[in-house]
Amino acid sequence: MSLRQKLLLLMSLTVAAAVAAVAWTVLVRIRHVFEQRDQEETALIVSQFQREFHYRSTEVASSVDRLAVSERARSMAFEMVQSGDAWPYLKEAQSMSQLGQLDFLEIVGPDGNVVSSAQWPARFGYPEPAASVSNSDSFLKREDLPDGSAALGLFAVRPIKGAEPAVHLIGGARLDQGFLADLPPAPGMTVGLYAESVSKDPASESFNPAGYFEAIGAVPNAARYATVIEDARKTGQQTSTILYLTARREDSVNITAIPLKSNSGAVLAVLTVAISRAGMVAAQQHIRAIAYAVASTGILITIGFSLWITARVSQPIEQLARAAEDVAAGIWDVRVPERGHDEVTVLARSFNHMTGELTAQRERLVQSERVAAWRELARRLAHELKNPLFPLQLTVENLIRSRSLPSAEFDEVFEESTRTLGMEIANLKTIIGRFSDFSKMPKPNSEPIDARAVLERVRSLYQTSGEPSLTFKTESSDEPMPLNADPELLHRALSNLVLNAMDAMPNGGQLTLSARPCNNQIEIRVSDTGEGITPEECERLFTPYYTTKQHGTGLGLAIVQSVIADHGGTIAVEGRPANGATFIITLPRAQA
Amino acid sequence: MLRRLAISSFIAALAFAASVLPASARTRPHYGGTLHVDTAGDPWQRPGGVARRLVFDGLTTVDADGSVRPALAVEWESENANHRWIFHLRPGVHFHDGTSLTSLVIVASLNASCPANCPWTAIRATGLSVVFTSDSPMLALPAVLATDDFLISLTINADGKTPDGATGTGPFQVNGFNYGVLSLAANDTCWQGRPFVDAIDIRARRSISDQRLDLSTGRADMVEIPAEEIRQARQQHFNVLASQPIQLLALQISDFGPLANPNLRAAIAQAIDRTALANVIFQKEGQVAASLLPQAVSGYAFLFPTDRDLNKAQQLRGGITPPPLFLRADGEAAIQLAAQRITLNVREAGFNIQNAAPVAQHADLSLILLPLQASDPAAMLGEIIRAQEPSALADAGPLTQYRAEREFLDRKTLVPLLHLPRAYAISPRVRDLRLRSDGSPDLANSSLEAAP
Repeated sequence: MSLRQKLLLLMSLTVAAAVAAVAWTVLVRIRHVFEQRDQEETALIVSQFQREFHYRSTEVASSVDRLAVSERARSMAFEMVQSGDAWPYLKEAQSMSQLGQLDFLEIVGPDGNVVSSAQWPARFGYPEPAASVSNSDSFLKREDLPDGSAALGLFAVRPIKGAEPAVHLIGGARLDQGFLADLPPAPGMTVGLYAESVSKDPASESFNPAGYFEAIGAVPNAARYATVIEDARKTGQQTSTILYLTARREDSVNITAIPLKSNSGAVLAVLTVAISRAGMVAAQQHIRAIAYAVASTGILITIGFSLWITARVSQPIEQLARAAEDVAAGIWDVRVPERGHDEVTVLARSFNHMTGELTAQRERLVQSERVAAWRELARRLAHELKNPLFPLQLTVENLIRSRSLPSAEFDEVFEESTRTLGMEIANLKTIIGRFSDFSKMPKPNSEPIDARAVLERVRSLYQTSGEPSLTFKTESSDEPMPLNADPELLHRALSNLVLNAMDAMPNGGQLTLSARPCNNQIEIRVSDTGEGITPEECERLFTPYYTTKQHGTGLGLAIVQSVIADHGGTIAVEGRPANGATFIITLPRAQA
Repeated sequence: MLRRLAISSFIAALAFAASVLPASARTRPHYGGTLHVDTAGDPWQRPGGVARRLVFDGLTTVDADGSVRPALAVEWESENANHRWIFHLRPGVHFHDGTSLTSLVIVASLNASCPANCPWTAIRATGLSVVFTSDSPMLALPAVLATDDFLISLTINADGKTPDGATGTGPFQVNGFNYGVLSLAANDTCWQGRPFVDAIDIRARRSISDQRLDLSTGRADMVEIPAEEIRQARQQHFNVLASQPIQLLALQISDFGPLANPNLRAAIAQAIDRTALANVIFQKEGQVAASLLPQAVSGYAFLFPTDRDLNKAQQLRGGITPPPLFLRADGEAAIQLAAQRITLNVREAGFNIQNAAPVAQHADLSLILLPLQASDPAAMLGEIIRAQEPSALADAGPLTQYRAEREFLDRKTLVPLLHLPRAYAISPRVRDLRLRSDGSPDLANSSLEAAP
């Protein structure tokens, strides 16, 4: 990962974390505020609903009051008390309940037994304990019905005026879907009533979804309300919580469960006021979406800005790095821009100074090397030319001195001298030819050949002409080893290496020629068991005019390296003193 | 003093004359007019359909005293220890379409009325006589033939065709049926003589409240009054005609399934508070009954205790709690209310019982209303017991009847609860309307006040 990428990542992460932290804090705070307001609103609606519920209770009591003071009821009660007969009034409760618009009405005689019942006419003659209730308020009561079911109702008990002993009216309104539907609606509010199995012990009851209904019918997802309803039933206390009806947050409600108790304090039913949180959640989601958009935009802008900043910060360093790479690659004349006055600029200036110094030093070094090369060349030339020149000089001086000799002797000397001169002149031509060949290496004339054939040709040439103590060995793979090379140049290169190896083993030894395919290349090795070479010699072995021989020109291995390089290959040497040396030539394998 | 007495006597004489003269004027029935009758049920239903006795006659009839009188048969005799009965037909009687009444028509009608399970084994026509034979003695056959079930109708006329409508020999013939009103016209050639009213319009399937409204507004001359509303009708100054108790409200208990145990059935019978049913639901217009026949008919009804004994009921139940039971009641509001009351009573004895819908297929208990038609106690008892089981009474003596009834009731498959009357409210312009012994109104002998 580059410096720019690291800087960009670091800055982006830093900014993103900062934005996320701010956004999270804002959202949490907004959510808290929304929920607080929602709970306050819910509490307000529940309070209004409880007032309305109380008002309905008062209405029931008022209806029973009006019936109790009506002339009809008073007349009935008077006749009942006077005659002692209750049977003529069997259907009286039904008609009076219609007058009072009550769902339940029972007339209870002085003996505490039902005289007439609107909701269960057959109950006449049975005792009604509720008649003894002296409370003037309404109360909740479970009323058994003829079909075996039970209904909840808000009841009120009133004695009929003027009758002594008292005849009571017990009237009530049913707590059912109709009752819930008549309650004042509030936006998003749903009122439900759980009244299943209210006569039994609440602690032993499990929640039955069938007993939970609202104004329009059964409550969807009724089982979700079980916990809060059970809490209200078991504790007898009003309970509020947030219910999630589905996995979606907007399908949640703020629910308040209000236990409805009988006179004895037993919880007979649970009234639930559920207020939808859909609006609040939608507002929250809207704000969250805006926050996300702002944060995303901010992060994007920050990333863009970071890109610019990191580019400005990293660009000089990158230029320095690239320049350093160029320097490492040998390109020393590179310079980096110097802008500003910061540390990077100082570094760039120092780098430029360093590369300038390096370039100057290299120029000086090249110059001195060039002088040294010329000196070496001159020394070599002098050395090489001095050897034949000295016999030439002696021969010429001898020839001059021999003019005084008799002609026969002179002729013998002259013939001997001219032969020697010819030989030395030929020797001079040879020396000059070698230098000329090194300066004018021909371009390879490539053709498809096999490495094995090249090795065979070299082996057959030198195996017979060598010392008897010298043994040749060739090792080549059975696989084809095609090369695209100039056979003459490659032969001359290998011959040069073989001659060097033979020179390194004056007392005999083993010379091994091997070839093997290696990936897409052909590797040719020439190994000897001679005196070996030192690591220092290995480093300078291919330098022109460097030689370890007493009479070498130092151009042989340089020519070999030049030939191998012209064929796209490489040459290396491995060896240690007294352990022989191995030259390794690697050439590209010819494509089929 | 004498003078004062003379004046008082004169005034009293004047008052008596004033009261007697209009009465003597009313004793002369007026011919003509249309009598409007409302009925809650089907006028042709058996038994008790108000149109049946207006259009059809039986071989015998029962007068207001409950005595069997000749009708289409002028006389009858039994032979072979009541195994064979011969009824001699009244000559010169014609059906409404003019077809003569013959013994063959009688046989065809009775065979159509009673295709199976008849009181007789065989019936055949012999000249102007009809002969009934049976393997068992037919003690009360004349009374049985007077019931609604065996009224004579024309099944095939003289041309060998089936008549278009109901055709009988009664005082009225069918004139039409439009918009729920059955119109009957007086049969001028009736063998009993022409009825006083020219026509009777019977408005069928009217609710009790609508009937009351029709009577109040003058749209009806006679309406039905349920037993539980007799008192209220009288309080409202309607002219109410009520019969003797001629219906039995009884609880029919299945003797298989969860109530196969007779002790459980007896426990249910003991748990029922008959007094509350009679005094409150039926407003003291019913007689508490633990026997099939009313005391006035059998004379031994007091031997069957009617009191409720909840402790005994619980003892009889013996801690057994059968699976939920269902009580079905087929009838008007009072019957339904009585069923609810019985359910309440039986629950107190520890049974799990509920009221079933009237149309429910399955019911362990049924609250039924049985008519007590026959005039003869043995025939009446035979009718009820035969309705429960095929065997007939072998002997008609009171002791035998008591034993048979006791034996039958001890099975607790039928628990008598109340004996109820039938009642009608009539408008002031209806005259001389009486109820027969079976509680049905004798409209043929009633008349209407002449229009002023």
